[in-house]
Amino acid sequence: MVNYVIKRFFMMIGTVLIIATLTFFLMHAIPGSPLDSDRTTNPTIQANLEKFYKLDQPLSSQYISYLKSIVTFDFGPSIKKPNESVNSLIGRGFPISFELGMVTILVAVISGVVLGTLAALRHNGVIDYLAMTFAVIGISLPNFILATLLIRIFAGELGWFPAATWQSPMHMVLPTLALATGPMAVIARLTRASMLEVLTQDYIKMAKAKGLTPWKIIVRYALRNAMMPVVTIMGTMLAGILTGTFVIEKIFAIPGMGKYFVESINNRDYPVIMGTTVFYSAFLVFMLFLVDIVYGVLDPRIKLHQKEGDPS
Amino acid sequence: MKKKWLSLVFLSLLMLLLAACTANKDAGKENTTSDDTKKGEKVLYLNNAVEPNSFDPSVAFDAVSWAPLNNLMEGLVRLNDKNVPEPATAEKIDVSEDGLTYTFTLRDNAKWSNGDKVTAGDFVYGWRHMLDPKTASPAAFLAYVIDGAENYNTGKGKPEDIAIKAKDDRTFIVTLNAPTEAFLNIISNPSFFPINEKVAVENPKWFAEADSFVGNGPFNLKTWQHDSKMVFEKNDQYWDKDTVKLDKIEWAMVNDTNTEYQMYQNDELDIATVPSELAQDLKDNPELKNEDQAGIAFYRFNVDKKPFTNEKIRKAFALAVDQQNIVDYVTKQGQKAAHGFVSYGLTNAKGEDFREVAGDLIIFNKSEAKKLLVEGLKEEGWTKLPAVTLTYSTSPDNQKIAVALQSQFKENLGVNIKLKNVESGVFMTEQKELKHQLSRSSFLFDYADPVNAIESFVTDSSMNRTNWSNKEFDQLIADSKKETDNDKRWKLLQDAEKILIDEAPVIPLYFYNQLTLEKPSVSGIVRHPVGYLELKWADKK
Repeated sequence: MVNYVIKRFFMMIGTVLIIATLTFFLMHAIPGSPLDSDRTTNPTIQANLEKFYKLDQPLSSQYISYLKSIVTFDFGPSIKKPNESVNSLIGRGFPISFELGMVTILVAVISGVVLGTLAALRHNGVIDYLAMTFAVIGISLPNFILATLLIRIFAGELGWFPAATWQSPMHMVLPTLALATGPMAVIARLTRASMLEVLTQDYIKMAKAKGLTPWKIIVRYALRNAMMPVVTIMGTMLAGILTGTFVIEKIFAIPGMGKYFVESINNRDYPVIMGTTVFYSAFLVFMLFLVDIVYGVLDPRIKLHQKEGDPS
Repeated sequence: MKKKWLSLVFLSLLMLLLAACTANKDAGKENTTSDDTKKGEKVLYLNNAVEPNSFDPSVAFDAVSWAPLNNLMEGLVRLNDKNVPEPATAEKIDVSEDGLTYTFTLRDNAKWSNGDKVTAGDFVYGWRHMLDPKTASPAAFLAYVIDGAENYNTGKGKPEDIAIKAKDDRTFIVTLNAPTEAFLNIISNPSFFPINEKVAVENPKWFAEADSFVGNGPFNLKTWQHDSKMVFEKNDQYWDKDTVKLDKIEWAMVNDTNTEYQMYQNDELDIATVPSELAQDLKDNPELKNEDQAGIAFYRFNVDKKPFTNEKIRKAFALAVDQQNIVDYVTKQGQKAAHGFVSYGLTNAKGEDFREVAGDLIIFNKSEAKKLLVEGLKEEGWTKLPAVTLTYSTSPDNQKIAVALQSQFKENLGVNIKLKNVESGVFMTEQKELKHQLSRSSFLFDYADPVNAIESFVTDSSMNRTNWSNKEFDQLIADSKKETDNDKRWKLLQDAEKILIDEAPVIPLYFYNQLTLEKPSVSGIVRHPVGYLELKWADKK
């Protein structure tokens, strides 16, 4: 186990480095520079700026100083917002995205698992059809459409909730709903499918034969085994949701991290692109790592040290 | 082993949950403290779309920074409700007979929000800061009319050689290198605001947070939650505080026009922009305000790329565009069709509007367009028109217009053109490198003078981007800069504009406007064609 963790740890670092390197060269390959604006400033100022941000140096030395910045996790100042460092942007945006993400994940997991389990237990019944119709709608309806609808109905027409901005718990309700519906639907469908499979297994029959209560059978034996596919997608889902979603944050004016991903690329704000990418990929890789460990907990048959990080 | 892992995972989940919850409570608390609006207070709720890029007056160079900053600080002059610069921090302005030397006498009661007096030295400090090559201010070029400014800014001169002087604490003297009609208008730009020298020397980042911000305008920066919210309150130190009627201004930062509109409907905002999808439905809404904004959307030809090497073919394309049709059925935002290059809203001392005096220089004319196309092809000896690609930067609005142009060229000239969209950063780089044949462009005025727009097209200007060059045009612009008589100067500029439109390196489309929804309870907000949101006189019932 320890060996495995150490091995995985180095693999994680390797993965992040590869992603960072690819990003660096791709980023410099797109035309345009962070200092471009519709107004052309005079060449002296342009040169001064390039010198200040070290953009006048050859790519190789830029790459090295950038690798340094990854190791020290200090990405320097944003070029578009010269008074802010990339670290302070992430430090400010991430907790907010994380907060929204955690609430979303909790809502999605709890309601998804409950819905999926109910559907499986009442297979081909009314609840099943209702739950799965709901799930199909949830999966097919993009969250930005849902977000706009929610604002229109609950803020515009009914006035129950504030339309946007990030201030009180009331402000969280609509974005959480908009963001949670998709993952919830995915989780519900996965739970239902694997529950159906698990429920036909011999050990469930055995448990029934032993006279265990249905509640105990479901929670202790069925659900636990049915959770494998859900855990599999949780890693990427968590990383994606916790680091902020551009569209939802834009629609609800949530000052999270999502916008930096997209805006930094539009602005060619190199330090911010690199900072957010490294941060996101490190986070994602770490989540996948956690998922692998959770596998072992849920299913002792998966021997991590033998399969070397490819447990499926 | 198994149990241990399980409990570890649960523990970490619990921690995450707790972290989320605590953050949540904090968020709630913050809200209650900043929302403690007293009864009867006049609070205006506005939206600034995004976080201001900077409140350093020298660095701010966009509407999202200027709109708030213009109400937190004040320069020597402020534009009044008729867009004319009036003495502000200065109480008296003397101009020498040759129009070169401006002597500003500052108000005795002009104070910073921390109680310090605003001195002439603060202006010298602020302007030198803007021109310092290290500041890399995008606005610096605006100051090049001041003697010695360009030299210092480009690293060739010393700050002491800029012709700005503090004769004493209340007298500020500026010498220009050429008489400039628009000078007072130019210095209404936030880049020319003073900077409190004492504060800035002590803390070079004084403008980055609400706690350290020191302004001299009608309002004070009370709180600034970055990327999320700003609160302004009336500045008690302001020399003209009796005019200021609002107690507070709360700025949200919502960058989605549909959300903004819903917030307006939900009374969370007093003013909102109009989402383009709703422009048609809201056309007759009494809360809608439509005001000029000096700027133009247009297309550039590259006169070095076939077929636009031929003037007649360019003209044919330009005449085949029905501007009115685009404004009425494509953009639908109440803009004015552009039949010239200089937009409405630029007036002289007599109150005449440049555009109205210059008249319509190009109007959609299908038969003339067709005729010119045939003549052009003949001149070049082409049997078939070389392929044309129109390029625009990716956005739904740009696309709509590009598609409309494509169909107008097809219908009015019988020409099939290709459309190509590219990401905006790439687009700008390619346009500067003159890689396009025909490409979308826009121009927003930096100061209220026609020359600002027209001089973009002098030979070798970095704003030219068409390869078009005309000696007569260049000469007219050069003459206009030396001309002290404003009537003659306007005549020169009008002649230049005529050449520009006649040789058609550009196709004008429409002039920009400011379309806003404003609650009936709000009054006194001034939006200038060239300028910055003005809340000094704003009131709310």
